[in-house]
Amino acid sequence: MSALVAVHDVDFAYPGAPVGRRVALANLRLTVESGEILGVIGPNSAGKTTIIRLLTKVVSPSRGEIVFDGVSLAGWSRWELARHVAVVPQDMPAALPFTVEQLVLMGRYPHAPRRFFETPADLAAARAAMAETGVSELARTPVQALSGGERQRVMLARALAQEPRVLILDEPTAHLDLRYQAECIGLLRRINRERGTTVILVSHDLNLAAEVCDRLLLLAAGRVVRVGPPSDVLDAGRLSAVYGCDVTVSDNALTGRPLVQVRWPEPVARGGETGNRA
Amino acid sequence: MERRRLVVVLAALTGVLALVVIAAIFLGSARLSPADVLAVLTGRADASRTESVVIWGVRLPRIAAAVLAGGALAVAGAGFQGLTRNPLAEPSVLGVSSGAALGVVVAQLMGPASGVTDALRLTIFGFAGALAAGVIVYFIAATGSGLPVQTLVLAGVIVGLFFAAAITVVTSLVDINRLGGIVHWLLGNVSAIPPRGLAVFAMLGTVGFWLIAGQARQLNVLALGEEAALQLGVNAERLKLRVFVGSALLTACVVAFAGPIGFVGLIVPHSVRMVVGPDHRLVVPATLLGGAIFLLVADTLARNVVAPAELSVGVLTSLCGAPFFIYLLRTRYRAGL
Amino acid sequence: MLARAVLLASIIVVATAPSAWPFTIADMGGRALTLPAPPQRIISLVPSVTELIFALGGQERLVGVTDFCDWPADAKRKPSVGGMISPSLETIVALRPDLVIATDSGNRQETVAQLDRLRIPVFMVHANRLAEMREVTARLGILTGRETSVAPLVDRFDARIRAVAAAVAAAPRPRVLYVLWPEPLIVPGRDAIVTELIGLAGGDSITANERNDYPRYSVEAAVAHAPEVIILARHGTGSGPIARDKWDRLVSLPAIKSGRVHAVDGNLMHRYGPRLADGVEQLARAIHPEIFR
Repeated sequence: MSALVAVHDVDFAYPGAPVGRRVALANLRLTVESGEILGVIGPNSAGKTTIIRLLTKVVSPSRGEIVFDGVSLAGWSRWELARHVAVVPQDMPAALPFTVEQLVLMGRYPHAPRRFFETPADLAAARAAMAETGVSELARTPVQALSGGERQRVMLARALAQEPRVLILDEPTAHLDLRYQAECIGLLRRINRERGTTVILVSHDLNLAAEVCDRLLLLAAGRVVRVGPPSDVLDAGRLSAVYGCDVTVSDNALTGRPLVQVRWPEPVARGGETGNRA
Repeated sequence: MERRRLVVVLAALTGVLALVVIAAIFLGSARLSPADVLAVLTGRADASRTESVVIWGVRLPRIAAAVLAGGALAVAGAGFQGLTRNPLAEPSVLGVSSGAALGVVVAQLMGPASGVTDALRLTIFGFAGALAAGVIVYFIAATGSGLPVQTLVLAGVIVGLFFAAAITVVTSLVDINRLGGIVHWLLGNVSAIPPRGLAVFAMLGTVGFWLIAGQARQLNVLALGEEAALQLGVNAERLKLRVFVGSALLTACVVAFAGPIGFVGLIVPHSVRMVVGPDHRLVVPATLLGGAIFLLVADTLARNVVAPAELSVGVLTSLCGAPFFIYLLRTRYRAGL
Repeated sequence: MLARAVLLASIIVVATAPSAWPFTIADMGGRALTLPAPPQRIISLVPSVTELIFALGGQERLVGVTDFCDWPADAKRKPSVGGMISPSLETIVALRPDLVIATDSGNRQETVAQLDRLRIPVFMVHANRLAEMREVTARLGILTGRETSVAPLVDRFDARIRAVAAAVAAAPRPRVLYVLWPEPLIVPGRDAIVTELIGLAGGDSITANERNDYPRYSVEAAVAHAPEVIILARHGTGSGPIARDKWDRLVSLPAIKSGRVHAVDGNLMHRYGPRLADGVEQLARAIHPEIFR
């Protein structure tokens, strides 16, 4: 397994942000191995979404370099990169007038950007992707009529239709119920194992990340706190410091992976004493 | 597949357009009998006879102008709605039509020059005004990293208001004899354009249409949001620039040749989308034909309902526009779509 | 008078020419028009021109007029080609004119340009002075083949004007404000025929030196001149005097104090036809009621 993505000393700042919140990422150093499942975790505004944007050339680093498959990102054109890297975003715009099939077909754009119409091969790829995420019956349904979970599965289908080597998912299970969460994770594991697709998963769900990911990247305030296997990164003291609340880490009896639990705060009485209301 | 649907839709619209053109040739204030009209069209009538002059010199150029103007406005509207992802966007929001209008108004004031160069001068001034407005809008909206769509719309509205205010200043100061002509022009009229003018219009219109139609697939992807479009490989900045320039060019053409005609860029794309769906690869070519049909019908009415006097076509399109808007709001937007 | 001599001379000069067709005549826009034969089918896009053609007796050759050509009554029976601003090009062509008469103050350049393109001869006229009106009359006489009617028409006209001018010669000349339109206030400037008429009727227009023919004017400036007579123009038939109360409120004005506010028929003053003589007489009655009972 070789480093598919290498990030060398990258800084990034959003232009126009207020002073004090300007620097989104500093001294980012990271590699992503081909075929691994990497989880990106951290508090809000840690810079997780910014990493996705940097990896997909939506923004460029102000310092440093990102290398994909041996070639600097600056040398990749957008559509070439899109053939290799697909993103499943958190949500889609509210007023989207297209049907599910039309949306999934858009994932085929990078494979022939100059074509006006899609080919039968494109249609086959799209239909296969829809079958994998279980949205085939919804093919002719307007996207606006779908539930949150259905929408997320459609976006996953679109990303799969891109036939990427790297799949980046931004909170993929946020709107899914338990059954579809399980299906989604099952699907990710399957394509990772069968096709060797590299998966980068951004999630707030630490336990999901602990279970599914080979390695975790813990980010806070734009800096890397720790990179490594979940058992290494998910340390109670470290997590409490990063997240600012009381956290315990134990072992998951079923799988042996770390299990993160938050010690929920007790109600505080008027006088300021913590009381234990029986 | 989509390709077949496109062919079917275009064939149907072309058929309707042909019918409307034929009807328009037969209708007019000169009250020519159908036999006369047919004689002229088949070349059996003498070229110097009145009927020939009416058909070839007045009616057909005017029909051609209405077809070109209607198609151009509709495509500009569809392109701009796709660009801004806002179905209520209209080419006049670009600021370009007010700029072109100011150019023509200023040209009209610069003394009565007689001769063929006159129409050309008006058109050149119109384009100059449109170019000035477009450039100003672009430079207000463009940042180092690209062309944010919201700023583009705001800049367009403000620049448009500024130029409209300038036009108001001009009309308030102009002497009373010219006022009528200027007000008439500002209402938007289709009139017979000389063949050379028609050729220029057609050429520029083709460029504008190609700029937009060529990006139809990318406009679909842009609906996912700019970030998602970038991640799918669409060069969003180049797309926005192309569509902006295309819409501005088409709008400038129409205003320079026919004056500011409103609502076509709003009514036609919406109506077309209700029939063919949201895919720009169908919408853009269909609005070209749909816009031509719409404006040709409106102009044929405008020059026939109160013959021999003529209504301004802009009046008719505005009268259609408001009720259509209300209908849109009540059906589509009430349903929360 | 000198004017009459010049007019006579120009008529004599051009009266001999028409026997030689094709004939080149210069219009009042400076264009030279070459007509192969005397025009038999004339379209008038100018109400003043229509009035003059009827007055000259050339109406048989008039085949088309505008919606605004309402005098004399027979003019309304002629086929109409629409308004002055947007006449129907088709209707004009269908009437098969060999001459169209248009003005640069009232018709649009585009209309003239389109007629040029269709190779229909267009004769441009305008008249901001009485002298120009006489010139228009002379040229219309040539174009309609009624050259012999020009001199008598002009003579009758001049005689009436002379009579008015003589009657008011000795009277003091009050300051006159002529209101073409009250809101916004539009007045006759130095290029308006009305200004000349007011002078002939024995008054001094306070706006006589303003630029252009009908400029806007501020009420303040009008009040500052303290007009002694206010004349309000009525447009169209049957409508009462307009916006009198606006002026009645300005009680400090000499015109209001002495009640010298009058309404006149605008169509007599703003068109340059034979009815200008009626206009002068109406103005004189308004300005010097003590002389004309």
